[in-house]
Amino acid sequence: MARKEYDNPKAEMTPMIDVVFQLMIFFIVTIKQEDIFSKLNANRPAPNATPSAQTEENDTQIKIDVGPRGVIFNGRGMSLKDLDGNIRKLAASSTKSTVLVRCSLDSYHGTLVQVLDICNKHKMYNLSIFSM
Amino acid sequence: MKKPKNEDVSLDMTPMIDVVFQLIIFFVVTLKMSDDKDTTIKLADGKNGIVLTQEELPPSQLTIDVARSGRVSLSNVTLTDQMLAQKITERKNRYGAEFPCMIRADKYTRHKDIARVMNICAACGVWKLSFVAIQEHKAKK
Repeated sequence: MARKEYDNPKAEMTPMIDVVFQLMIFFIVTIKQEDIFSKLNANRPAPNATPSAQTEENDTQIKIDVGPRGVIFNGRGMSLKDLDGNIRKLAASSTKSTVLVRCSLDSYHGTLVQVLDICNKHKMYNLSIFSM
Repeated sequence: MKKPKNEDVSLDMTPMIDVVFQLIIFFVVTLKMSDDKDTTIKLADGKNGIVLTQEELPPSQLTIDVARSGRVSLSNVTLTDQMLAQKITERKNRYGAEFPCMIRADKYTRHKDIARVMNICAACGVWKLSFVAIQEHKAKK
């Protein structure tokens, strides 16, 4: 068994290190870190159902209106921070109640997602989305 | 000038080639080549939602992309309303109405486009929908 190559302490390592460094630099530069995603669950009732059709059986409903300029809750426009405070108070008494989110057709999807996020924050998972 | 080392033709290249091949194989396997989603979509923040992990994304899941313009696509293929309804019905027949149906929409998409997609889902008998949001920003902008 010829072992003189392996025993040679001066074997040329330079090309290997060069290639490995080139590969490392290439992958460090090209690697793209992905965002961490989350999902927000909600129900979509049948297209012809109206929010008022369900109000009779269950009166512990919270209605949030989403318009193009923001959120309307209890008949007045408010910031998402104020909505957060209001939902926290309601969630303190019960998290079982249904939240009806009524979106106008020209509102932005981001506002709806933020409203759903606030509801999730306060463990209100009974969410229904209506469009009007 | 003595050049005995450089003229040694029997220098062992095997470990170097081994390492390089290992690295190439590793990165070829782990690299996701094609982006099978609409990359123009900028999601809204949703820090309190359920974190999407591999268990939250079973093979039965369906992610519907809705761009800012209202373009509806699956795996970056634009669909008409009829085609979308057909895809959802196929999923429902195969996995039942409880399969994870997710809507990945831009934060500036108008609600009328989302409503259209949601109405198609509801008409197909899929009531439980999820919206994809960003839990934590990692990607460079």
